[in-house]
Amino acid sequence: MAARPVLRTAVRAVRVLPQSGPSRSCSSSRHVRLFSTTPRSFKSPSDHATSTSSSTDRTTHFGFEDGISEAEKTERVAGVFHSVAESYDRMNDLMSFGVHRLWKDHFVSSLNPGSSSSIPPKPQHILDIAGGTGDIAFRMLHNAHTIHRNTSVHVTISDINPSMLAVGKQRSLSLPPSQQSALSFLPADATALPASILPNSIDLYTVAFGIRNFANIPLALREAYRVLKPGGVFACLEFSKVENPVLDAVYKRWSFSGIPLIGQLVAGDRDSYQYLVESIERFPSQGEFRDMIVDAGFVVGGDGYENLTGGVAAIHKGMKPLDG
Amino acid sequence: MAPSRAFTRLAAHRRVLGVVGRQYQLQRPYYSYDHPPPPGPFNQTEHAILSAAYTHVPEHGFTQHALSLGARDAGYLDISTAVLPDGPFSLIQYHLITKRQALAPKSRAIFNALDAAPGDGAKGQTMKIDDRVERLAWERLLSNADVIHRWQQALAVMAQPSHVPASLRELALLADEIYHLSGDGAVDPSWYTKRGTVSTAYVGAELFMTNDRSPGFAQTREFLQRRLEESSKVGNALGGVAQWMEFTAVAGVNILRSKGMRI
Repeated sequence: MAARPVLRTAVRAVRVLPQSGPSRSCSSSRHVRLFSTTPRSFKSPSDHATSTSSSTDRTTHFGFEDGISEAEKTERVAGVFHSVAESYDRMNDLMSFGVHRLWKDHFVSSLNPGSSSSIPPKPQHILDIAGGTGDIAFRMLHNAHTIHRNTSVHVTISDINPSMLAVGKQRSLSLPPSQQSALSFLPADATALPASILPNSIDLYTVAFGIRNFANIPLALREAYRVLKPGGVFACLEFSKVENPVLDAVYKRWSFSGIPLIGQLVAGDRDSYQYLVESIERFPSQGEFRDMIVDAGFVVGGDGYENLTGGVAAIHKGMKPLDG
Repeated sequence: MAPSRAFTRLAAHRRVLGVVGRQYQLQRPYYSYDHPPPPGPFNQTEHAILSAAYTHVPEHGFTQHALSLGARDAGYLDISTAVLPDGPFSLIQYHLITKRQALAPKSRAIFNALDAAPGDGAKGQTMKIDDRVERLAWERLLSNADVIHRWQQALAVMAQPSHVPASLRELALLADEIYHLSGDGAVDPSWYTKRGTVSTAYVGAELFMTNDRSPGFAQTREFLQRRLEESSKVGNALGGVAQWMEFTAVAGVNILRSKGMRI
């Protein structure tokens, strides 16, 4: 780890430069988000100045480092993500043995967007936060358009990083035209969504492998509550705590030894993947996160979460009550 | 174990309650009357969606479509059904749980009516436990009548591996409820066989009922009675076999001892 301070200096130097497009430099990529590559770096112009103004004062954590200001976390999590897209799928497949695709498929099919009881179907507006590469959004469009033959579903892919949105845009070109026309892209900070997303206007708010990296999770949950329609659903796919102690020991060994090693060998970037596993470790457990969702005003059904692969990942769902 | 303070307090509480307290003695003694019952399995929102969706089951079955229609009737969005943890299986659970809970008031009505019937009084109380069990299992089967043409579909969903534990648990609770309501308080090993028996008979009869076209499901009732009768015969036979095996084993050990083995 002797190279770490040097690397950090290099990253800082790069960060100052204005970034015009995807950078191919691996050395500049410090922090990579697993499975959804959406750094929280760029503060978009927004009307919610109150939430951003104080973010320099409040402190949060970054991996196992404490006492980082929220603004700095936002900046550091961002790092430089532009080179990620290339190794993105390969890394995810290697780290999760391909299971992340099953999780995402299950996540979308359990939400079942596009299913409607009325003829013609009621339009649905889905907001996919931290969905830069379109993994979730494309699956939802497939579910609505191909399975339910419901073309009145619109998906807005939102991400804090415009260059990640560019990756998603590039990928969306291979979709059928009808699905492309049902997509829109919005660079935005999830803790302060822009005025273009009206309050009480969203049917389904999804965030997959992104909320862990938010500088202020309760604020993001309240923001989700604000933009959702009464009866609208907040759904989150995120790493969680493994409940079986034997499986947990294997999983910990894999995540703290295997994943940084693969990151080093495949993506040439150990520190980013070290942050990744540390941030997973710091994320609250299923029950704690469920309570955070309830505190934001949502109602949950049953336990409020569903474990995937023994708790390696978990799906949390909450609904904005009708009188909310 | 020394009588716990809670038990003493409960006994005192009963004395105060007088007549009402005596009625309580028929109920499960491990119930607490000092605390409100635990919250039900469904919260207010789930209950609103599921109860509205349940009215669509006879027409649309235990499906996502019925759930969506229910959500719409209750004023929710199409997507709101995603908050139910198990989708259509939640609707099936709603049926199972509400019908099980409805059994208690029904059983009171049935046995009180028997008591009040002209002729030899208190017939409901003198009824044998086996007969009461049969009556209650039949009553529970009858409450499937409205959705019986959709029940094969529901059974298929319940047999999915991820839903099997919850389905079996609900069946166990039903068997427990039937025995509790029939007034059986035995806590010997027959606790298990009794509940196993009534569960098996109930499941078989339920399956039979999905294809029963006889008026008033009369054949299903005969089927249920035959199954319960058979299992009591089998129970007697098994008891005989066990007794025989025990005797043989003891005799075998004694023979070996008589040959000088140190057992």
